[in-house]
Amino acid sequence: MSTARTAPSPTPVDRLRDYDYTNFYFGAGSEPFGILEPFGEWWRDAEFGSGYYLYSLPMESAPSVRVAIDDPKRGESLEGLINFASYNYLGISYRPEVIEAVCDGVRKYGAGASGSPILSGSMDLHKAFEHEIADFKGKEAALIFPSGYSANVGVIAGLMRPGDLIVADKLAHASIVDGMILSKATSRFFRHNDPDDLDRKLEGFPGKKLVVVEGVYSMDGDLADLPEILEVCRRHGARLMIDEAHSTFVYGSNGRGVAEHFGLDEEVDIHLGTFSKSLGALGGFVAGRRELIWYLRGFARARVFSCALPPGVVAGLRKALAIAANEPELRETLWDNARYMHSLLAERQVDVGDSTSQVISIMIRDDAGIFQIAEELLHAGVYMNPIRYPAVGKHKSRFRMSVSAAHTRADLEEGAEIITTILRKHGKCP
Amino acid sequence: MPLTRYTYTHAVSAFFEFPTENARAILPAHLQPLEVQHESSILAVTAFDFIGSMVGAYQEIVLSVIVPPLVSPGLGIAKSAFYPFLVGTSTEASREHAIERWHLPHYMRDIEVDFTPGEGRMRVEVREGERPILEMEVAEHRASPVDHLYQSFMIGGDERFKVDIHMRGPHSEHEEELGSLTLHEHPMTSQLDRPRVSRFPFREQWMRDGVQVFEELETI
Repeated sequence: MSTARTAPSPTPVDRLRDYDYTNFYFGAGSEPFGILEPFGEWWRDAEFGSGYYLYSLPMESAPSVRVAIDDPKRGESLEGLINFASYNYLGISYRPEVIEAVCDGVRKYGAGASGSPILSGSMDLHKAFEHEIADFKGKEAALIFPSGYSANVGVIAGLMRPGDLIVADKLAHASIVDGMILSKATSRFFRHNDPDDLDRKLEGFPGKKLVVVEGVYSMDGDLADLPEILEVCRRHGARLMIDEAHSTFVYGSNGRGVAEHFGLDEEVDIHLGTFSKSLGALGGFVAGRRELIWYLRGFARARVFSCALPPGVVAGLRKALAIAANEPELRETLWDNARYMHSLLAERQVDVGDSTSQVISIMIRDDAGIFQIAEELLHAGVYMNPIRYPAVGKHKSRFRMSVSAAHTRADLEEGAEIITTILRKHGKCP
Repeated sequence: MPLTRYTYTHAVSAFFEFPTENARAILPAHLQPLEVQHESSILAVTAFDFIGSMVGAYQEIVLSVIVPPLVSPGLGIAKSAFYPFLVGTSTEASREHAIERWHLPHYMRDIEVDFTPGEGRMRVEVREGERPILEMEVAEHRASPVDHLYQSFMIGGDERFKVDIHMRGPHSEHEEELGSLTLHEHPMTSQLDRPRVSRFPFREQWMRDGVQVFEELETI
């Protein structure tokens, strides 16, 4: 026990300025709830004082181009905000035919699957959708999961074992990291998009090796350097898995993803994706050779021990997939829009970091100031999520802007003007 | 015991990922490494150019493993906590002082710590005579005045100690990965799995013209 006096507790102002979630990860002593009091003391001030309330703001409309948001701090409903926060890259989630398909699915099958996919939860439409996804991806087979998170966790932990090695890009999504932890394989991380560092991390390891990258990195909006990474993998006899959560249905001539974009679709061993981004609903998938899918059907515990996706969702996803496959002009519009927004921001000298995709990082680099800017943007008519430490590095705070095929040029111009005005006010662009 | 103050011109520090297996081998049983990623812990390398202390001016290099701070009701919330597993200094008097007062483990020969400022960068070279120990480079970011609380954990035989340390002064911190680290084969680096210590820091800190204040040593 402590025998001396302790340092004075920081003032509320210090707490707001200097502390974040990471300060409360570990508590002292043997009482599991011991951390709750200091955390609660911080949170009471930080929720509205710092701006943490800006996360999970209740949306009162569909995640379309214009949204209504409830502002709990001021007790106001904000309507007609330009939505740059949702992943609805192709604007599919609220298409009338998708909504109708969901309703048809619910009418026929009810609200839920009522079982694990390996027991009673697989309906004819789940099986049909798996075949459709495999066809779309140009792979022998596919397996669908309740979420993108469970797809990564299930595939990585389902395939890799203690004594194996998994090396992931250091900016890999939490679901990839959690899959690595659950597999109990040796885990290493290489510098973001750095093939030389990947080479070092693989060097000399004698056993089975899996490398995991993302197609588009969700916080930075940049692409995996797939050709060079693949070359390193081949040299070391490592298998390569790509999580195309933000790039499936968007990149490549057929919309298969970044692997297709680089002409390496056949070279990558395991293809992950989600249905919550471009298809606008919920779920994840893995696609690849038939034997891989057979194997994972039994060993991907995150799928085996979860209820299957609700049939209404799957019915809507089948319609959404058909739209994504049959309307390539949506991808063209998305890229026109993304290029246009990049050009608008470049003209205004807004710092977008390394982003080159439809995910645009508007760099603020001010952990303390970003919440204030987010509030002002919200009340000026733009909805974007502030991202700050620990989700990104210290002083790498940013807004993550998602451009959609559904945005009009007028939406993009108005949004860019509002953003620039607020950033200028805060000295974040000239 | 009064608070103990050390003033410095430069305190530069950087965090490097290294294997948790290595961190666990260094730490005493009652401390756990703080992981930045699964199986990836944090080596902190800190260099001080002290100009005022009870034992005069001296230079110091501190090798630490970052550990979780103690957070509980009534305790100040530390910015971070560390276990210094080896300290090197340029004078015998500074070693004797820190061992006696703080139970800090030291390399028992004089070392030299050279600070070479560049344009927004600081290069630190540590050597023992002609024998290199390490080179570290840290880049600067926007600086603002701070009073940060840190916790340092030490051991002495079967006893466990903690001391709260305040770092006051203009502070710059970033995660732009602009710095570097080269570790040479030397007794000071022998506890580290050198090839697996990252050569690039994920966090870099720089304080200028500040003061380091130690509170009383606590037995925990």
